[in-house]
Amino acid sequence: MHKIFMRLAYILGENPPDRAPRRSRCSNVPLMSDDRPLERMKERLSPPPLPTDDRGRARLVLDTLILHLHPARIPKRTLRWTYTWGLGGLAGMLIGILVTTGIFLEVRYTPTAPDAYLDILNLRSDVWFGDLLRNIHHWSANLLIVVAVLHLLRVFFTGAHRPPREVNWLFGVAMLLLVLAANFTGYLLPWDQLAFWAITVGTSLVSYLPLIGEPLGRLLLGGPEVGPTTLLNFYTLHISFIPLALFGLMSLHFWRVRKDGGLSLPRRAGEALEGTPERVTTIPHLVRREGIYALVWLAAIVLFSIFVSAPLEGIADPGLSPNPAKAPWYFLGIQELLLHFHPFVAAVVIPGLAVTGLVLLPFTDVDTSSVGIWFRSARGRSIALFSAGLSLLLTSAWVAADEFVIRWTDWLPNWPSILSNGVVPLAAVGLVLLALDTWVRDRLDGNAEERVLFLFVFLFVALLVLTAVGIWFRGPGMELFWPWAMPAAT
Amino acid sequence: MSRSARVELAVGFVATAVILAGLTFAIAREPARLDTAQAQLLESQVDDAMTLYAQNCAVCHGLAGEGIAATPALDNDGLRGADEDTLTKTIARGRFDTAMPAWSLDDGGPLSDYQIAELVALIRFGDWSKTKDRVVDLGLAPLVPFSADPDPAIFEQVGDLPDGATLQKAITLYATNCVACHGPDGLGTSLAPALNDPTVGTKPSDELTRTISLGSPGTLMAAWQSTLTSEEIDALTTLIQRWDEIPAGAIPAPDVPIPTTEESLALGETLFAQNCSRCHGPEGQGTPRAPALNVKGFLAETSDLAIQQIVTLGVPGTPMPAWGDRMTDAEIQAIVGFIRTWEPSAPEVATPVRGGGGPPWLRAAPQSPTDTGTDWRALLLVFSVFLVGAAAVIGGYLGLQGDGPKQPAE
Repeated sequence: MHKIFMRLAYILGENPPDRAPRRSRCSNVPLMSDDRPLERMKERLSPPPLPTDDRGRARLVLDTLILHLHPARIPKRTLRWTYTWGLGGLAGMLIGILVTTGIFLEVRYTPTAPDAYLDILNLRSDVWFGDLLRNIHHWSANLLIVVAVLHLLRVFFTGAHRPPREVNWLFGVAMLLLVLAANFTGYLLPWDQLAFWAITVGTSLVSYLPLIGEPLGRLLLGGPEVGPTTLLNFYTLHISFIPLALFGLMSLHFWRVRKDGGLSLPRRAGEALEGTPERVTTIPHLVRREGIYALVWLAAIVLFSIFVSAPLEGIADPGLSPNPAKAPWYFLGIQELLLHFHPFVAAVVIPGLAVTGLVLLPFTDVDTSSVGIWFRSARGRSIALFSAGLSLLLTSAWVAADEFVIRWTDWLPNWPSILSNGVVPLAAVGLVLLALDTWVRDRLDGNAEERVLFLFVFLFVALLVLTAVGIWFRGPGMELFWPWAMPAAT
Repeated sequence: MSRSARVELAVGFVATAVILAGLTFAIAREPARLDTAQAQLLESQVDDAMTLYAQNCAVCHGLAGEGIAATPALDNDGLRGADEDTLTKTIARGRFDTAMPAWSLDDGGPLSDYQIAELVALIRFGDWSKTKDRVVDLGLAPLVPFSADPDPAIFEQVGDLPDGATLQKAITLYATNCVACHGPDGLGTSLAPALNDPTVGTKPSDELTRTISLGSPGTLMAAWQSTLTSEEIDALTTLIQRWDEIPAGAIPAPDVPIPTTEESLALGETLFAQNCSRCHGPEGQGTPRAPALNVKGFLAETSDLAIQQIVTLGVPGTPMPAWGDRMTDAEIQAIVGFIRTWEPSAPEVATPVRGGGGPPWLRAAPQSPTDTGTDWRALLLVFSVFLVGAAAVIGGYLGLQGDGPKQPAE
C-alpha cells in the first residue's frame, strides 16, 4: 500500500526548480521544451526506484499535495483509533461525497414546482443509477449530521475545545449549524408530501422569533407559506451559499488544527506527558489509516444505498396536511419541546440557550490540565455515566408526566400562556438542573469541570431522549403511542 | 511492515472488494430495477388518477367511465390506444363545442400538468372496475339516471293537449337526453338548473333555442345542434315554455340503485349499528320507537334515492331526525346500500324487538383487535429503559465513591 502512496506522491509531487534535484530520475527540464514529449511523459509517469530508508521516503513525499493538509510528521499517539475515531476526516469525506453526488443530481433536477417532483420520479424510473446517486446523497447527508455531532462530543469529552483550540471549536459549532441548514434546505428539494410538510413545520418555528421572526420567515420562504419560491430559495441556499460557507469554514478548521499544534495528545488518566512526543511520518502512517477508514465507510454507504432507498412520498399537496406532520428527524427534539413549552420558549429560548452554551463552552471550561483524557479523569467517567443515567430516567419520566399529569395551563388558569406554559415550566426545569448541580458540587465534591461535564451530558442525553420520543413515539395528533402500536398517518 | 498495518491493509482490500462487488451488483440489477420502478410509478399514477377521476370526472363520465347522456364513454379500446398527446391536450384545454371544459391550471382549470398526466395514464392503462369501487368508496358516485321512461298514463294525457304531439316528442327527447343533468320533471339537479320554472319558461324562444343549439360556455351545457335536429330543438323549447301545463310525474325519477363496494357496506353496517339500530332494531326489525326497515314491503316500494332522501331530510313530525346535518352524503349512501342488502332475505312481516337495541355501551361490540390485554412489549421497554438508567446511575455513583479522595482541583 505505501508503495502506491509513494507513486501517487511522486506523480502529484511538485518539483520547484530552485530546490536541489531529488535522488531520482525525475529531472527539472520543463515538459514543453522537450523534443520527445511522449518519452518524457512516460518517464515522468513511470516511477523511479523507490528509496528504502525512512529518510528517503520522507524526502520523496515531503512536497506532496497531502502535506498541504497534514504536517509531515505527527505524534504517534494521535494515531490511536479510539481517540479520534476518525470522525473529523469522515465528516470531510462525507462532504466530498455529497458534493460529488450533488453535482450529478443537479444535472437532472429543476427547482420549480411541480417539475422538481417529476424529476425525482424520473431519476428513479428512467435515469441509470439515478436512484443509487440519490440514495448515496440522502444517506450520506443524514450520516453527516450524526458524525458531526459525534465529532463535537469527541472533542468535548477529550477536552480538546479548551485553549488554544477555542477558536476552532467555534468554527466547528458554526459548521454544525451549517450542516443542519444544508440538510434542512435539501429536505425540501424532492417536493413530496414529506418534504413539503416537514419544511412547513420546521420554518413555522422561525415565526416565534421576536420582532424579526415574521419578516425573516417571509424572506426565507419568499412568501407567507411554503411554495415554488421557497423551493427556489432553498435550492439556491443548498447548492451555493451553504456549501460556499462550509468550504470556507472547513479550510479555516483544517488550518486551525495545524496552527493549534495538531490534535490534542491523547493520554490515560493520571498519565503525564513529558518531553517531546514520539513522532512518525504522516505518509504512510496517517494517510494509510485515513485511506482505509474512508474505504470502509464508502463500502458501508454504497452497500446501504444499494439496498435501502431514500424515502419519497406523493407529490406535495398544500391542501392536504398529513397527521402527524413532523419536522426532519434532527429537529424532532425541538418539535417535542413545543409539546411541553410555549412556542417562544421551545423554539427560541431553549435552542438559543443551547447554541450560546456551545459557543461559551471553551471560554468557561478552561482547565487545560485534563486535555486529552477521555471524560477528564476516572471520576469524570463516573460522573458522565451517572449523569447520562439520571437524564435518561428523569427526561423519560418528565415526557410521560407532562402528557398525563402536568397541566400548567389548568393549574394557572388566569395567567397568560407565555407565563403559565413558558416561563413557569422553564423555571421548574431550571430549578431541577440547579438543584442537581448543587448536589454534584456539595455531595459529590464536583469541581468546575466536573459540573460542566455533568450538565453537558445531562442536557445532551435529554436531547437524545426527546428526539427519540419525537421520532418513534409521537403519532397522529402528536399523542404518545408505542412504536409497535402506531396508528397509520393520515 | 508491522502487524497492525497488515491488518489495516487487509481491511482496506476487503472494503475495496465490497465496493466493487456492490457496484457490480448495482450495474447488473439496474435494468430490472428501472423496469420495476416504471411499473410502480405507473401503478401509483393510476391509483392517484382514480381519486382524481372520482373527484372531477365521474359526475359527467359516469361511475366507471361508461359515459352519461351526451358525455362520451372513456372505458373503451379506442381511447386506450389513443396517443398520449391527444388525450393530454383534450383534458388540458377542453373540447370546443362540447361540455368538456379546460382542466389545466394554465387554462383556468383545477388540475396541474402532473395530475392530467396521471388521468391520461388512467385512460390508457387503468382498470375501470377498480375505478368504480374508488368512486363509490369516496361517496362521489353520480346518482343521476342515464335516461328515464315517461309515465305512460301522463304521456297519453299530454297527447290530448293542443299541439300534444310536439310535447310528447319533446318529453321523449328530454327523458333520453336531458334528464341526466336537468333532473326528473325538469326540477334540476346539482349539475344543471331547473327548467320546469316560470323564470326559464318565460324567456323568449330564440334565446332558449340558441342556448340548446350552441350550449352555454363555461358550464356543462353542451351544444346540442350536432346531436339534435332543429325541429327537435324547437320541440324542446316548446316543452320548456309550456311545462306548467304538464302534470307532475310525467318524467319520473327512475330507480337508480346506490352502488356499493365491500368498503362502503362495512361503513354502512358500522354506521347503522351506531346510529340507527337503537330505534330501528339491530337488524332493522323495528322497535316500538320506529318502524321496521328489514321487511319486504318497505324495501320493495322504496327506491334507494327515496331512502336516502328520508335519511337526509328526516321525517317531520316523527322522532326521525334529519341525518343530513350530521353525516356526509357518502355516509348516508353507505347506510342505504347496507339496508338494501337485506332485501333478498327480508321477511313479509317484521317482528319488532321489545326494548330495542339499548345504548351503545350495552350492545355487544366486536372486540377491538388491538385490545389484547397486557402490553408486554411496553412493560419490557419501560423496564429496560429504567434498568439501563438505574444501572448507569448506580454504576456512576459507585465509581465516584470507590475513587477515594478527590484530586485537588487545579
